[in-house]
Amino acid sequence: MIINMKIMLNYIHRFIFFVTLITLSFSSNSIEVIEILGGKASQIPIAITPFNEEIRTMGQVPDKKNADLQKMHKVIANDLERSGLFTSLDTSGISTIPDSDILINFSNWSALQAQFLVVGKIITIQNRIITRWSLIDIYKEKTVLSMEFSGSKKQYRGIAHKISDLIYKKLTGSPGVFHTRITFVKKKSEKIYGLYVADYDGFNQRAIVNSSQPILSARWSPDGEKIAYVSFEKKKPVIYVQDLNTGKRVLVANFKGNNSAPAWSPDSKKLAIVLTYSANSQIYIINSDGSGIKQLMRTRSINTEPAWSPDGKEIFFSSDRGGNPQIYKVNVDGVSDVNRVTFEGKSNLSPSLSPDGKLLLFLTQDNGKFRVAVQNLLSNQVLKLTKGPHDESPVFSPNGHMVLFTYKDYGKTTKIGTVSINGLKVTPLRVGSEAIQESSWGPITSN
Amino acid sequence: MKKSLLLAMLMASMVVGCSSTDMKESMGLNAPFPELTSQTAELSAAAIDELASNPLLSERSVYFKFNSYNVESQYSDMLAAHAEFISKHNVGVAINGNADFRGSHEYNLSLGQKRSVAVSDSLSGLGIGSNNVETVSYGEENANQECTGSACDQDRRADIVYVGE
Repeated sequence: MIINMKIMLNYIHRFIFFVTLITLSFSSNSIEVIEILGGKASQIPIAITPFNEEIRTMGQVPDKKNADLQKMHKVIANDLERSGLFTSLDTSGISTIPDSDILINFSNWSALQAQFLVVGKIITIQNRIITRWSLIDIYKEKTVLSMEFSGSKKQYRGIAHKISDLIYKKLTGSPGVFHTRITFVKKKSEKIYGLYVADYDGFNQRAIVNSSQPILSARWSPDGEKIAYVSFEKKKPVIYVQDLNTGKRVLVANFKGNNSAPAWSPDSKKLAIVLTYSANSQIYIINSDGSGIKQLMRTRSINTEPAWSPDGKEIFFSSDRGGNPQIYKVNVDGVSDVNRVTFEGKSNLSPSLSPDGKLLLFLTQDNGKFRVAVQNLLSNQVLKLTKGPHDESPVFSPNGHMVLFTYKDYGKTTKIGTVSINGLKVTPLRVGSEAIQESSWGPITSN
Repeated sequence: MKKSLLLAMLMASMVVGCSSTDMKESMGLNAPFPELTSQTAELSAAAIDELASNPLLSERSVYFKFNSYNVESQYSDMLAAHAEFISKHNVGVAINGNADFRGSHEYNLSLGQKRSVAVSDSLSGLGIGSNNVETVSYGEENANQECTGSACDQDRRADIVYVGE
């Protein structure tokens, strides 16, 4: 187990290590761009078997087996595969599928080249389900996890995501994000926009704002309680903060000109925002109730898309001070020098930081193609995660292992999907046929 | 788990408070931050007549070249007519900047604003004070989302819209 975890951690941070090595052999100014790293060979092969449903009738006529519950193992397989760290194996060739960790035919599973196996059963009692499942190490022929979750039938996806989180944590050492939520904006027609909250995989979506005007730049507060967003409903962009529990919202910025690009401070107390109060876009810091506005710095050029470093000390932002937009950083006190961060590519914009502060996520443009990229902030090495040509709105998952972004093919509607941080796995989210824009990812919460 | 819940509750209690924006705080530049005086006044009948009768005033859009924020000389007469109209009737005007769809929504807001500011600067050069002008950007929100090549040129523009129209 320990060896496996080491391999996994090594894999996740491989690009960081790789990059560190590269830096040692080049001058500090040189930047190497690598298109893709590693191969699928380094993904963990895992077999996730269908969970057999046992219906306990309590004297009534037994129901038919529930079609949703038959898909529970697929939810888990899709979760793990989205991370780019696992490959799930087809188990249809195995004649007898075990439903517990006893009587496992290990030679069957090692023949399938499975390193790990997940088995389980679902006991249904009316509308309640009890899910008993186990994670088994095929090489060591031993059970790694064995647990039981219960809930209502409707919660079957949530239970599956919880199982995925536990498997992920056990095998990678990092928290899973399969039980988190995202937001996106649907443009249903020219005059109908909706801000949606959904499970991270796009299921269970619901609108929290409906408007006849565009909605942009939704951002979850790090405590998960609120969402800040930009709305054009006052005939120009203004910033609201909406409480997710009560649905109440507060107009926090309605100054002269545009009010946009809200970014929560790591302690959820402040917002960096962008106003065009003086002329061009400039960054200000306000309290999250809209009080205490201060200008971060003052230039004639565009400064926008602020993003906080996880320690709350620096603001990264995009600016055209050097011509085409590039990403820069400045201390939150605004008195330090501004340092340029991105050098590769014709233009770079939409910055955000990984939870550990080591990676910068952004949109890079070359030859008219917009692609999602990450840059190691120690070595400045850049990895392009997506192909473009019109990718936008990249945001990190709260563990930094995946990125949510929007993309479009020529002549088609804008879609939303995830890409793993190793660039190996791109997964579209099925959230409807409408145009999707502006993604954000909520934090890991305890519920 | 309990700890994070407590922390979340603590944070929630901290952010709850006065919801109105405190306009008295300085911006760190010793510059006052006055409340926006919204100009909701209706246009006078004379102003409406003039807008309808003067063909230069019916021209409302300034187009920009790719990656450019210069107001071309072809718009001089049109902008001069608008400047004269604004000062004669003392009306409020919004300059709505736009960008094509390429790039991020937020950055395009900033690009549209830059075009809006360019037109506002031209009006300022013609003697129009900032009290009469609000620069606003729609970014790419009104842009053609599927254009290619020169078809996107239409979206790089700033529009003149009078308050009360």
